[in-house]
Amino acid sequence: MRSLGLRLQDEISHTLHDNQIWEASTLVHFKLFLYIVPLIFIWFYQQTKTVSKSIQTQTGLVSAFWAAQNFYSLNLLSNPAETLYLIWIVEASVVILLYSLFRHNPDKCSYFKAVGRALLGLPAGAIVNALGAIVLGAPVGLQHLRKTLHWSLLMSVLTFVPAASIFGSSWTDWHRIFAQTKPIGAIDYMICLPAHGAAIGAWFGAWPMPLDWERPWQEWPICVTYGAIFGYLAGMMTSFGFIVFKNWRRHVKRD
Amino acid sequence: MAEIWGFWRNDNWGGRSWAFMVFLGIMVLHILAILLFTRGFLLTRTELSQYSQCSDVFDSPCFPPKNHNVNNSSRASGCWTKPSVDRLVIIVLDAIRFDFVAPSTFYTEKKPWMDKLQVIHELASQRPSSARIFKAIADPPTTSLQRLKGLTTGGLPTFIDVGNSFGAPAIVEDNLIHQLVANGKRVVMMGDDTWVQLFPHHFNESYPFPSFNVKDLHTVDDGCIKNLLPTLYKEDWDVLIAHFLGVDHAGHIFGVDSSPMIEKLEQYNGILKKVVEVLESQSGPGDLHENTMLLVMGDHGQTLNGDHGGGSAEEVETSIFALSLKKPPSSALAAFDKSTCQLDMQGRRICLSSIQQLDFTVTVSALLGLPFPFGSIGHVNSELFALAAGTWNLERLATHDRQSLSELDEWMQNYVNVLCINSWQVKKYIDVYSSLSLIGFSEKDLLHVSELYAQAQEFWSLTSKSSVLHENESSSTLLPAIKRQIEAYSAFLASVASLARSNWTEFNLKLMGIGFCVMLFSLFLHAFSIKRLDNLCGLYSPSCGDSRNTIGMIFACIAVLTRACSFLSNSYILEEGRVASFLLATTALLQLRCAIMKKMMLLEALALVFLVPFLRFSIELGQLKQAVSSLFLKIDPSRTLGINGDSQFWMSITQFVPILALLIVAYLLYKSIVCCSCHRILKYVIVGSLSNFLLIAIYWASNDNLLNLLMVPRAIRVNLIPRIIYAVGVIQVSLLAIVQLLVREKTLNLEGSTIFKVLALISAWSSTIIVISGKQGPLAVLALLIGGWCIIRLMRLEQDTDNNNSGSSLFYTLPVTQWNLLAVCMFFSTGHWCAFDGLRYAAAFVGFDEFNLIRQAILLTIDTFGFSHIFPIFGLPFLVACCCPPRQTKRLFSMRLCQVYLMYGLITAVSVTFTILCVTIQRRHLMVWGLFAPKFVFDVVGLVLADIMICLSSLYYIV
Repeated sequence: MRSLGLRLQDEISHTLHDNQIWEASTLVHFKLFLYIVPLIFIWFYQQTKTVSKSIQTQTGLVSAFWAAQNFYSLNLLSNPAETLYLIWIVEASVVILLYSLFRHNPDKCSYFKAVGRALLGLPAGAIVNALGAIVLGAPVGLQHLRKTLHWSLLMSVLTFVPAASIFGSSWTDWHRIFAQTKPIGAIDYMICLPAHGAAIGAWFGAWPMPLDWERPWQEWPICVTYGAIFGYLAGMMTSFGFIVFKNWRRHVKRD
Repeated sequence: MAEIWGFWRNDNWGGRSWAFMVFLGIMVLHILAILLFTRGFLLTRTELSQYSQCSDVFDSPCFPPKNHNVNNSSRASGCWTKPSVDRLVIIVLDAIRFDFVAPSTFYTEKKPWMDKLQVIHELASQRPSSARIFKAIADPPTTSLQRLKGLTTGGLPTFIDVGNSFGAPAIVEDNLIHQLVANGKRVVMMGDDTWVQLFPHHFNESYPFPSFNVKDLHTVDDGCIKNLLPTLYKEDWDVLIAHFLGVDHAGHIFGVDSSPMIEKLEQYNGILKKVVEVLESQSGPGDLHENTMLLVMGDHGQTLNGDHGGGSAEEVETSIFALSLKKPPSSALAAFDKSTCQLDMQGRRICLSSIQQLDFTVTVSALLGLPFPFGSIGHVNSELFALAAGTWNLERLATHDRQSLSELDEWMQNYVNVLCINSWQVKKYIDVYSSLSLIGFSEKDLLHVSELYAQAQEFWSLTSKSSVLHENESSSTLLPAIKRQIEAYSAFLASVASLARSNWTEFNLKLMGIGFCVMLFSLFLHAFSIKRLDNLCGLYSPSCGDSRNTIGMIFACIAVLTRACSFLSNSYILEEGRVASFLLATTALLQLRCAIMKKMMLLEALALVFLVPFLRFSIELGQLKQAVSSLFLKIDPSRTLGINGDSQFWMSITQFVPILALLIVAYLLYKSIVCCSCHRILKYVIVGSLSNFLLIAIYWASNDNLLNLLMVPRAIRVNLIPRIIYAVGVIQVSLLAIVQLLVREKTLNLEGSTIFKVLALISAWSSTIIVISGKQGPLAVLALLIGGWCIIRLMRLEQDTDNNNSGSSLFYTLPVTQWNLLAVCMFFSTGHWCAFDGLRYAAAFVGFDEFNLIRQAILLTIDTFGFSHIFPIFGLPFLVACCCPPRQTKRLFSMRLCQVYLMYGLITAVSVTFTILCVTIQRRHLMVWGLFAPKFVFDVVGLVLADIMICLSSLYYIV
């Protein structure tokens, strides 16, 4: 753990030596999250072994994220569309493959069926997200088309795809999670809170856009993406906390 | 006292008279707050239309020039002072920073834009007695128009000069150019066309070039250059003004530290070199430019980003470079030399002096021998005045004997005399101003100024006596007296200038604070009334006592506060329409979610959600128009949809769609009267608007040549139909008022009759508003109708869950907030924005060709606030009437109506309060005059209008 911390420090000082402090700081932010989140998860993993499966999902997800950032030196500022594309591809494969393991009624529904309906859910969710963004003020125009497309696919991966792969077309479950916000089990928390976190984060992420600071990240959809990802991670952590908390309660009661 | 207390008893609450009194009280509070705040913030000055005359000077206690050397003056004697310059070349370089002109050695660090105007350094070092660089300190607001006004009138123009004519900026005050023309000087102007707007009939010859397009760095400058040099060789002018704009535009587009800026400066250096060469080649005795003075000056500075308008040192400090082509004795200049000298990069000694821009007019008038402009409060600057001292010396050598007075003494006497006239003129202006202006100076300040003047005059009588006595003697005693005299006058003039500055350029923080506090108090009163009505409402209807906090209500409060806080930043003010549409979309999405949760009203929620992007697109179109005329909004052109407006298809679409929308609106209105039963007169009113819609359709069709009405003369086609529509609208509204006054009907169905009253009133207004706002009108009305309908229907969502909780005011919070956001969106999407160029002046001339201030102002107000204030406020009772449990008591109904109006008023007042707060915080901001002050004016006018309309509707609706 200590070596990881040192590496992090090293990395920060390394990147700050460059003159592109701006770009560096965003990267560092990103990596901070990407290191810290698995760290916490690993720690929790040792503490509570009962929720091991959900933790696996999250660690897998986050490390996939980290890989996407490190192997390809793309970033959101210089070529947003490509980066978004990469993120959602990696993210989608991890999310679909992992969440499909937790599908409802595993007896009736095969693993591949779950993957298939998640793949169907991906464009559907993208359309809903894109429409929502346009209603809220995303720019419309041919030159923004690619960015909006990839952004909405990413949002779909963060919000819709897990639900699609787990619930399929079960309207009551969808309704319970997204309209009424009444998650019941651990899986429900894992779908509901990160999805809401991503949406709320994206909503707040749009706030700095009209400011006249003339920073490159104020462009659509960069800060909205940052907001969505931070919201998603926050939702992840909260849902994790909830699960741990409920487990602990159950243990206490049992004792 | 008891009566007043009785008025506040519980059983009066919610009644019509009570409601009217409350709304009136709130309106009075708002107006009071606004007046107090405005008095402290928007500095106002009254323009006086008096002009100085040549003969006025004989009323002064000083010596007019003719008394002195009437016999031996060879050239035309001056009017108030003895002219020392015959011809004047003024080259105005817009937005020249002082460090463009001053040598870089005066600064700690050499920046790339410094030392580019080498010709000025050269001249200043070679002839220190006849060429001088001045640091000119301008007064805010540092916008070109205000500065040109200040430079020519010698006053301190404010943001709102009372007496400004509508639209046309021509200067009505006495000014330098007027005096030049009145005294037979011929003025030639070239460059920025603002001059021609300010002085439409003054120039002998003018070569104006459009200053409109900021991205164009060269048109104005090239035009100037083309005309400047040939004109210099001509004899047919006395004063030449050349106004270059390139530096200003380069700053706005590229900033100061950019290569176009440096290229511009180098270009100017070349031009100035040529100008000086021409002038010098003709400056021999008897030549064209023997007595010419060259002034190269800036009107204001700019920040490194190229902005100007505020009062920061960078914007205020500009430069004047003066060059007199006749060499004066060095002694005159030395007498008052307050300059600082330093060596420049090439080791030349360059001196810099300082001058207030305020003093420019009067100094130039004194140099040319003109009467000082009536409203000038400047002070003849000794150093600039001394630069031209050379011209008298030659005369003196020819006529007087050398022994009588030293050169210095004579110059000093002359200067004292000029200062005497100067002080007398300023004193006269101050006296006349404080007697004529509504908001004059305070008594104490006036007394102080008068005392100083009296003191100086006392000296003067002594000095002038002694100078007459000692005329032919050596003057060892005279010089100290004159010096003391000059000091006395200077003290007087300085105190007048500081008094004027404090009145016209400094904010009165105390008044602003009081105004803000009154505004806060009105907010508390508002909130208190709502709370109180809420409690009472609980008494009257048992179902509405418990007020459960809902997500909707919380979000409504968040939305109102977010919008209000967003006014603290200039970028959010620029994007206000988009912020409002963002918040409206968020509430709509929340309601959509709620609708899905409850599985009802899905269609309405979806309709509202998809209405918002259309509003946003039209807001962006409006912003695009704004971007053309505004420098602040850097909109990227990609935001527009790639529609080619020229194609035949789009042309026909734009012709037919409005008429189609108009027909839909008319059809909806028709449906509503067919299915309802109500008073007959109300029905007539609505039929009246239906026929008006038909007229509007004919009017547009004939304007687009869709209908062939060529046999009808144009005057009838264009003017008659709108006038008929206005007349019918006035008749409709007055009919409604009469019905309200005379007919007292007992109806059982209170909701139904209210809905019908609302419909009648709105339809009465709609035809007028549609015809004024043009083709976009029916579309906007349709959008408003759909939006309103959705909001009303979506209220059911909450009502259903809370089981008749609709009596609580909290229930109405979200719909009223949405109503308000929709109104704000409508304001921006109908092509308005909060700036004076955002007014659609063309709307004021629908139906009229000639200008009449009151009539056109009314039309303009209706156009500006029609969709954002008139429709939403008069339509607000729909919220209560359409979506209430039926059979509620009359009392409960009027209480709810009252509450809804109170809430709407509160939401408007909260945003205005934040605007006021923001304006107070940002009063020294760069964009205070360009952005915050117009926003403040629009908000304040909107608030007062909203208050008036709420008062009227409380009379009309509340039973």
